[in-house]
Amino acid sequence: MTMTYEGVNRQAVAELVDVLGAERVVVTPQGRLIRAMVPAPFPFHRWADEAPEIAVLPETTDEVVAIVKLANRLRIPIVPRAGATGLNDGAKPNRGGIVVDTKRMNKVLEIDTTDWTVTIQPSINMLKLNERLAPYGVWYPDDPASYPVSIVSGRIGTGGWSLLGSRYGHVRDNVISMEVVLPTGEVLEVGQGGGRKIRHSSTGYRLKDLFLGHQGTLGIATQATLELYPRPEAEFPAFFGYESFDAGYRAMQPFCRSNLATLAGVILFDERKVQYLRRDDEAYIPEPESLQSIVAVAAYGSEGEVAAARDRLMRIGAETGGRYLGEELSELDWASRHDRYATPLHGRSRDRAVHMSWHCEDAAITYSQLPFVKQRWHEIADRYIAEHEVFDNWGMFFYTNNAYKGWGDFLVEIDIGIWEQRLDEDSWRAWTNLKREITQVSLDAGGSISACHGATREGEVELVPAELGGQFDLMLKLKRMLDPNNIMNPGKYLLDQAYEDGEG
Amino acid sequence: MTRIPDVEGSDLVPRDPDVLSIGDRAAAEAATRKLAEGYEDRAWGCMSSRHKFCREPCPVYQVTRNEQHTSYGFHATVAAMSQGLVDLEDAYEQYAYCTQCGACELRCPNTLFTGDFYRNRTQLVQLVKAVRAAGVEAGIERGSWKRWNDDTVTFRNEMQGDPAQVAGWADDLDLPRGGETILFCDCMAAYRQTKVPRAVSMLLREAGVEVGLMNDQWCCGGPALEMGYTDIYEQFARHNLEDWRAAGAKRVVTLDPHDYITFVEDYPRLFGDYGIEVLHITDLLAELIEQGKLRLERPIPVSVTYHDPCRLNKRRGIWESPRKILRAIPGLDFRDVDHVTQWAMCSGAGGGLPVALPDVAEKVARNRLDAAAPIGADVLASACVWAEDHLERVAAADGQMPVVDITVLAAMSAGLLEAEPWLAEVGRNREGAP
Ligand SMILES: Cc1cc2nc3c(=O)[nH]c(=O)nc-3n(C[C@H](O)[C@H](O)[C@H](O)COP(=O)(O)OP(=O)(O)OC[C@H]3O[C@@H](n4cnc5c(N)ncnc54)[C@H](O)[C@@H]3O)c2cc1C
Repeated sequence: MTMTYEGVNRQAVAELVDVLGAERVVVTPQGRLIRAMVPAPFPFHRWADEAPEIAVLPETTDEVVAIVKLANRLRIPIVPRAGATGLNDGAKPNRGGIVVDTKRMNKVLEIDTTDWTVTIQPSINMLKLNERLAPYGVWYPDDPASYPVSIVSGRIGTGGWSLLGSRYGHVRDNVISMEVVLPTGEVLEVGQGGGRKIRHSSTGYRLKDLFLGHQGTLGIATQATLELYPRPEAEFPAFFGYESFDAGYRAMQPFCRSNLATLAGVILFDERKVQYLRRDDEAYIPEPESLQSIVAVAAYGSEGEVAAARDRLMRIGAETGGRYLGEELSELDWASRHDRYATPLHGRSRDRAVHMSWHCEDAAITYSQLPFVKQRWHEIADRYIAEHEVFDNWGMFFYTNNAYKGWGDFLVEIDIGIWEQRLDEDSWRAWTNLKREITQVSLDAGGSISACHGATREGEVELVPAELGGQFDLMLKLKRMLDPNNIMNPGKYLLDQAYEDGEG
Repeated sequence: MTRIPDVEGSDLVPRDPDVLSIGDRAAAEAATRKLAEGYEDRAWGCMSSRHKFCREPCPVYQVTRNEQHTSYGFHATVAAMSQGLVDLEDAYEQYAYCTQCGACELRCPNTLFTGDFYRNRTQLVQLVKAVRAAGVEAGIERGSWKRWNDDTVTFRNEMQGDPAQVAGWADDLDLPRGGETILFCDCMAAYRQTKVPRAVSMLLREAGVEVGLMNDQWCCGGPALEMGYTDIYEQFARHNLEDWRAAGAKRVVTLDPHDYITFVEDYPRLFGDYGIEVLHITDLLAELIEQGKLRLERPIPVSVTYHDPCRLNKRRGIWESPRKILRAIPGLDFRDVDHVTQWAMCSGAGGGLPVALPDVAEKVARNRLDAAAPIGADVLASACVWAEDHLERVAAADGQMPVVDITVLAAMSAGLLEAEPWLAEVGRNREGAP
């Protein structure tokens, strides 16, 4: 079966207007163009080619069902869009079609203070959700750096990672169940077994995970029931400085294995990251050259537990030769963790400050392989920077990556500045080549391409079958089964291959 | 590049009928180019991040939840104009979805982390004004704004009030004309919220501050500028400045934040440093209270929460003085919501929003009142007559708490005004209610 797409036509527009009313159907050029991209690097030199044909703003599950059925019947691609903060291009339409911008689906449906769940329409932002939960003494702890702006349905779409995950789990652990509109328009309740509020079950297959991190290729989440936690009574962040990356790397291990249940996360900064911050971040400019690496830790929980954790973490810092960077830097830097580290004007093109966008690589790599990956990534990035004025190297972070523990694999991030305003076809090609080389290193290290953003872009997606092996073939089968007409976010994850066998 | 083609059937989605285009294509294209050139760089400052931290605090976005109605949407559209993909005729319409409250500017990581070092503060308010002005210049405008501005020219005030009666509220107060300190009364206050200028005049007299009225007060011109009517703005501004100069004014006291910001931000752009100090009444009253020149002694036993006017709090950093005044009133139970939390709040009454999009403006007000309700206060106080008038109307329709200007509360506490009926109502069951 070859998939031929129909563009959005008069009939489709008429039906969409019928379902939603004209005011929630967007056809203006600017309305379409601004929904062509997310923060992931974007080929602005061909912006017009990347725009969706139409965007719609549904408010209810029924409306989503009607939109999906229409698209399925008329063979029009649909792309769900949530906060549009993805650092992978999941919400970017690859084939035009309809962007289903879900932001109006943001109602809180039930706050259950007995069984400690909250049920929502999932396009609410976490900060706003926590404002609603605050009077009940509970919170939803998903805390990506995009906490003030990304929204729960996008977190579901990416299966995202939280800065506090070692203490409170990540998105997968805290979405208990969901309502999903499948590509054919059926509505599926999916959870851990049956009940909407059941957290652990052994009945049947574990299907919930299939709908966390599919990048909008398998359906649109229209409702979610989430885990609640007691609000932390105390938090303790501490930043320790080391004189070399090696020293920081070695110090990370005892922090990660500190046996503290309150440990929310450990972050290692490499020397290039410190250099980058020293360029123009007031907190770091005064730091001496001997500061070459940082280990940041944070503990969250009850007063007594956090007080005890504080003592132990300070002791580990001292024992590993770390210099405590002080209360002010530790507390304020931690407090501004959401928006501190990727500021356009901190980019440099050949020493000139220009507005640069941010690429954030996010591989999952085991501890033993971190130095190898670091060395290779910097070599690759620096080689491209030498040739192209549009790139800059903003250094690396290494974060604890696993739910409820500090060890195992780590989220490894290299931040690359990209001067998008200057992109052309050549430099875009250079970018995807750079990306591909970096991605290959993750696989060489036995790692995974993406710990949290997903891997649907040119420059990485070609390597997904190599990473997943037989699992990729199963993905193709599942995709074709659930989305017989390939209308849900087509062109992502090489899933078109599912439809290439000539049948249909 | 050329404008992206319309999708088949796009005519089934009607354009906002309020938007009129009477210019020719060439004018629109020229205006688009000029705008794009002037603002392209700033647009890329936003676009290069596109993290959208500004979005959730935006009071208009909270109502429409449409990405176009955000700082990101506005900047991205300018970037698209600079690539020729969109022209002003397409884009103009969406720029009405802004109250010019400034929340996005504050919450932008560019402002926070490169505002000082690189002078790279995000300036969305300027951008919105520029797009609206470019529209008017090219013959693209909103019928509602055009009528409103025509009326303002006719009446020289925004209320369609008899120009001869602009100081009618003060008829029995025996205020001088002219003098070193001029009280600029604001159009809304002159014709509708007259109790506010009355309270202000009494408070200043009580504190021994002599103020005079203008010989002939015209609208400050700020709203015209906010809607893109630059010529009208300039005409008003020149008149007012001449009037002040003729009166020998050394300082102007404003009671409305919209006037205040026009005089401290816009007039200097037009006239340079024009040598007259401009104050907002809350700063002056707080100072007089601190100096012991104004005594608030009569208890006002009600619970009050305070709405920070955007142009004071978000755009000028004035949030302490109003709180000092409220804390100085005996018996008053002040239930504060901190000024940073209030970055995400707005009455909806600014930037021409209620004129162009009254439904949206009403929903913004409703969100503000809904945020106040759980605090359990008897009264919502503010320091902006436009916000108060707008909130008051929505609150009355919804059965929400009364809204009052803090100068009125202060005047009651100073024994200059009798308790108003609403105060008797909310205070009925409280001991010591006046
Ligand atoms: C400054 C910054 C910091 C960041 N920090 C982190 C971090 O610490 N951890 C992290 O994990 N990520 C981080 N990110 C990336 C991004 O915020 C996350 O990937 C987030 O999960 C995306 O959510 P969104 O609401 O923006 O979704 P979008 O970008 O709109 O969409 C993400 C994906 O979900 C799909 N989708 C959207 N809605 C639905 C739906 N209803 N049903 C099914 N699929 C849907 C989309 O098609 C797309 O594939 C950061 C981004 C920025 C800009």
